Amino acid sequence: MSKLWILVFQSTGQTLAMVFFSTFFSLLLGLPLGILLSATSSEEQGGIIPHPVLNNVLGRIVNVLRSFPFIILMILLFPLSRLLIGTSIGTAATIVPLSIAAAPFVARVIETALKEVDPGVVQAARAMGSTNWQIIWKVLIPEALPSLVSGVTLTIINLIGYSAMAGAIGGGGLGDLAIRYGYQRFRGDVMLVAVVIILVLVEIIQVIGNKISARLIAKR
Amino acid sequence: MKKILIIALVLLVAATTVFAAGTKEQTSSKVLTVGATPEPHAAFLNLIVEDLAAQGITLKVQEFTDYVTPNEALETGELDANFFQHVPYLESFNKDRGYHLANAGGIHVEPFALYSKKYNSLSTLPSGATIAIPNDPTNEGRALLLLESAGLLTLDAKAGLEATPMDIADNPKNLKFREIEAASLPRVLQDVDAAIINGNYAIPAGLIATRDGLLVEGADSPYVNVIAVKEGNQNDERIVALVKALRGDKIKKYVASQYVNGEVVLVTE
Repeated sequence: MSKLWILVFQSTGQTLAMVFFSTFFSLLLGLPLGILLSATSSEEQGGIIPHPVLNNVLGRIVNVLRSFPFIILMILLFPLSRLLIGTSIGTAATIVPLSIAAAPFVARVIETALKEVDPGVVQAARAMGSTNWQIIWKVLIPEALPSLVSGVTLTIINLIGYSAMAGAIGGGGLGDLAIRYGYQRFRGDVMLVAVVIILVLVEIIQVIGNKISARLIAKR
Repeated sequence: MKKILIIALVLLVAATTVFAAGTKEQTSSKVLTVGATPEPHAAFLNLIVEDLAAQGITLKVQEFTDYVTPNEALETGELDANFFQHVPYLESFNKDRGYHLANAGGIHVEPFALYSKKYNSLSTLPSGATIAIPNDPTNEGRALLLLESAGLLTLDAKAGLEATPMDIADNPKNLKFREIEAASLPRVLQDVDAAIINGNYAIPAGLIATRDGLLVEGADSPYVNVIAVKEGNQNDERIVALVKALRGDKIKKYVASQYVNGEVVLVTE
């Protein structure tokens, strides 16, 4: 049993590492993409620099990436993982496909949050002579911040779910522990422990996300 | 609808009568009825019908497409032997159902082997090498048993067939394990020092156990497909003749021409 507890401990660490780093990198990729998607959309949709062609191309790329079953995406991205991490297996290597799988999701979440900003505010900013850059950073993002925080919370929880599949390429983690020991080896106790820890993680992240979002709304 | 029912009934009665006639014939001691799954098991058996006929034994091959009925039929005595399973499967059947089946001889293995892109022999595999193994219970245990059979590690005696790296009692080479989904193993081979891969995943990736394997399951593997008989019949002259014929040249030639990629490897005990 002690060996299994060590495994539970390790798996929790692997899940936290995978989720933390892939959230960071998916935001790094998804944030600019989401801003571009929102900014280049048509004027009626709140686009500040409408550009139908670019918008279409970006939208398609996002849809293509989101269509891949995660396990296939992981295998397709092996060459990229080898280039960036030096190997295609293990916890570090799964951060690459996790980030790339989550980035288009983040982009859509951010796009939606930015489009919800009251067009009147944007018009007012423009009337006062703000540049596009200023509108994005000083108006749209601060205005949409509570929704953006909710979106990030959603992304993190989604990534916890995705990380369960990382076991296929030796990434480990709690989901993999639940599958391999709980399900395949009929260890109900291990499955229960793994699922409870995942549940606690999801709960903590949701509560923190809600708190931050509520505080941002209250500050206005 | 009624007509169809009547026709079906008539056919059923006819079939049972024919079948009953067939079983009556089997009571003669020189008839050997063997159950087998189609490929390669039944194919092997059909090849040696003449060899056994020369010894006065009439071999009847009964094909099955599932893995339960051939054991049930063997236990009830409807079959004299069957040929489709490996020893762990047979033992779990004995344990779960209280059957009395025994191994009368190993014939072939659908090979499971250790491959490497970096080393070309087992002896050059360095200390601390990383080995990728399948992560599902059956194949993971099978992989560790293969390494144990080559003396690379020792497993806890209690571990059984579903051992995991946690059951390793002694690991003199300090090997490290990466547990990966079986189908992904050929794709990650270049990222590890070596990987243990099932034949069905290795072959499409261009890996042939007998040619590329650094370590291949052999006759001592529990996963060898065996001729199974009712306990006590292992030395029945008909069974001994059957096993001998299956290890003969006809089967060797057939395997060499039919399984050029080494999907099936014959074992000799």
